[in-house]
Amino acid sequence: MSRTRLRSRFSTGASLLVPIALIAFTVLLGVYGTPSFQGTVTLVLCNLIIVLGLQVFIGNSGVYSFGQIGFAASGAYVAALLTLPAGISLFQTPSLPDFIANAQLGPLLSTAIAAVVCGLLAAVVGLPLMRTSTLAIPISTFAFLVVVFNVVSNWDPMTGGSGGLVNLPRTTSVESAGLWAAAAVVVALAFKWSASGYRLQATREDEVASRSIGIGVMKERMIAFAISGVLCGVGGALLVHQSGVLNPTTFYFGATVTTLTMLVVGGARSVFGAVFGTLAVSTVNEVLRGVEDGASLFGTVSISATPGLAAIGLGLILLATMIAMPNGLSGGREAGELRWIRRLRSMAPPSLPEPDGAPAGAPRIERAADNALSAEGISLAFAGLKVLRGVDLELKRGEALGLIGPNGAGKTTLVNVLSGFQEPDSGTVRLDGVDVTGRSPARLARNGLGRTFQAALPFPQLRGLESVAVGAMGVGVGRRRAVAVATDVLGRLDLLDLAERPAGSLPPRDQRLLGIARALATQPRYLLLDEPAAGLSEGEREALVAILGGVLEDFGCGILLIEHDVSVVMSLCPRVQVLDDGRTVRVGTPEEVQADPAVVESYLGSSFLVAADA
Amino acid sequence: MTELGQNLIDALALGGLYALIALGVTVVFTVMGMMNFAHGEFIMLSAYALYVLAGLPFAAAVGGALLTGVVIAVFVERVAFRPVRNADLSAQLVTSLAVAAILQSVVTAAVDVRAQSIETPALISESTQLGGISVPNLEFLTLGLTAVVLGGLGWLLYRTRTGLAMRAAAENFEMARLLGVRADRLIAIAFAISGALAAAVGVLLVMQTGQVSPGMGLTPVLIGFVAVVIGGFGRMFGAVIGGLLLGALSSLLGTYLPDDLVPFRDAIVFTVPVVILIFRPHGLLGGDINKARV
Repeated sequence: MSRTRLRSRFSTGASLLVPIALIAFTVLLGVYGTPSFQGTVTLVLCNLIIVLGLQVFIGNSGVYSFGQIGFAASGAYVAALLTLPAGISLFQTPSLPDFIANAQLGPLLSTAIAAVVCGLLAAVVGLPLMRTSTLAIPISTFAFLVVVFNVVSNWDPMTGGSGGLVNLPRTTSVESAGLWAAAAVVVALAFKWSASGYRLQATREDEVASRSIGIGVMKERMIAFAISGVLCGVGGALLVHQSGVLNPTTFYFGATVTTLTMLVVGGARSVFGAVFGTLAVSTVNEVLRGVEDGASLFGTVSISATPGLAAIGLGLILLATMIAMPNGLSGGREAGELRWIRRLRSMAPPSLPEPDGAPAGAPRIERAADNALSAEGISLAFAGLKVLRGVDLELKRGEALGLIGPNGAGKTTLVNVLSGFQEPDSGTVRLDGVDVTGRSPARLARNGLGRTFQAALPFPQLRGLESVAVGAMGVGVGRRRAVAVATDVLGRLDLLDLAERPAGSLPPRDQRLLGIARALATQPRYLLLDEPAAGLSEGEREALVAILGGVLEDFGCGILLIEHDVSVVMSLCPRVQVLDDGRTVRVGTPEEVQADPAVVESYLGSSFLVAADA
Repeated sequence: MTELGQNLIDALALGGLYALIALGVTVVFTVMGMMNFAHGEFIMLSAYALYVLAGLPFAAAVGGALLTGVVIAVFVERVAFRPVRNADLSAQLVTSLAVAAILQSVVTAAVDVRAQSIETPALISESTQLGGISVPNLEFLTLGLTAVVLGGLGWLLYRTRTGLAMRAAAENFEMARLLGVRADRLIAIAFAISGALAAAVGVLLVMQTGQVSPGMGLTPVLIGFVAVVIGGFGRMFGAVIGGLLLGALSSLLGTYLPDDLVPFRDAIVFTVPVVILIFRPHGLLGGDINKARV
């Protein structure tokens, strides 16, 4: 029996081969073209490597960086200085240390060193920058670009200053650029399909939900930022050895706009989009330049901002794409996900995964009586408004505890405190006896605390199987086993038919169930469900109760259930805790709680009492 | 002592200029939640208006620059930004980058990629002696203008219905709309104010450097952005503080840095915010735009 995969072999193969075939075709065009056209094609391929570098970070994280050209510049300078011809450095870069000036390395070694240096630089720069918010990252990376530009264009004795460097060896050929570009495609896809890549995509799809399944947003961004730095550095190093000259303005604002346009036009989310966008935009750019020159089509091209028609054209293309086609030409799909390529295989819709019966790797947790998620004396106020006033709670493993109470009683806030999204003013939260107060949501998720939200918070662009598998990846399970876990969870919840559909296209009910499956895939010891039945029909509620009952049986975790529908709580939870105005009113069996006048008053209003008495 | 006083006034004047830039960026951000890359090009185009109108009396040319800034800002909002109003922050940012690139290349194509020089009125390029300190009149102008703009914005925000609507929109745009604030009008007003501020900055920059170039808006917009980040997103007061800090830092570095390090002033100025962000990831005044209700 074949192992379940995140995507079919055919899809994987097509996603890899189509971009590489496009590159191969471009290389062939260049090889048989005029020398000047050959130069143009080589530059396009170098740009492509930089654009793939952008894709790794921007495409997977959804966060824009305007600083990646700074890494291309760094790569270009490192490679250029390591390959300076003998004697040249005396005039151009007198202060350069001898071991660099006399290195005169070959193209391969200098490019490799540039890649390593840029990767390290990206890691160092990324460390503070990735801590900041989604909107601050574009700005601080832009500041990084300005810093790089400022340094290389003013540090004359080391870098040749604003005049740049000339007479560098022109070692980058069409073929070598093509090989590097193909390698970059493999790197970009390998990252995208790795567990780390999936975790990063989850943060792009919904940051809050991604934290609830154990994903450290900063760490995942950091990894992609460093890989992106490596690719951009390689692109810059190859670029400078194509032209043989290095001018600091080549790697500045103009190049940033050009490469971003290529990425966005193709569709940032996919590697195929990056390749396709680069080739399409380069072609249009060449045509515009041809018109601009009036005569010679396909003259030499540089990626710096040039005056005139071509630059205006590029800007307009970028603007039109953002307004009319924000997902780009590829729609964010990899080649293997394109409809017409899938049709090539002329087969029935992809076979649904089957649970293979083997244990999904989730060792079922033994139910030890003394283990519990407990809270003691939790108090919290928002701007003076007391939301929680000394609440205690205990959720044992394997039990279902209902948490009910009127609107504004503090139920969701309590769940936020338990799951680390909100730090309490006072009180402690213990997970199996360990004080975990103040731990981050991601860490708590990795410690065995799962939760869902009032909103479903789906990962719209991920398919059902991916959405759930990323839950397991979030807590550190490897990719293969994550798929097995996800298949198992989906099977138990009877949701296997959602596996191949993008989560964003599902009806609310299925998104909600997928959210529960995603939380279960983190293999929680305690699962906090915030109004899972909200918005469901009567029949769907009954189905949900059956599913949750099954979860208790199969997964052995403790379930805390916030729910307004009393019938759902009563049929599932042998124990119910009632919260009102930030205090616990009563804990007891459903019968005890229902009979308690204080509960009835707080929950149903005193008018109900009066009516009942009458 | 007098030298110190001189340096402090220089620092304050540059800080005032940067605060004006940051305010222009923030006015749009608070209302629309968008960081507008094209703000630098609003500055640049206003400066070019001064260049085109060089033959006219100075006051008329400045009026023309002001009009240009306002018209361009409102026009760009209507044509380019309204269609992406509901897109996410990143998409809006990239859209404004596209607009910036277009405006820059249009000017490059229409005029020249090289800088053009403009004569500045003698009165502005002279200095006034003040208690042993020689203060360039331009610095008085900058400081005065900053004070007037701050006062005017304060009046607008806290004393008018439009200001009330803007503050409400800054708190919760959707709720403000539901309560009857007209979004189109409010956003247009914000862009008009932003354009006017850009024009003021453009004129001051021309007075300072005596020239215009297509790329002249790039550094200012970055300064505005960084000031906004330092100050905490979407806070007028924070933007002013951020601008003042950056300007003062830049000015003082220019004075006190050893000669051979002066060319790296920009690098240092833009590294400092990163250091601040290490300790305060959400800026000095701590606005957290990523705060989401869960």
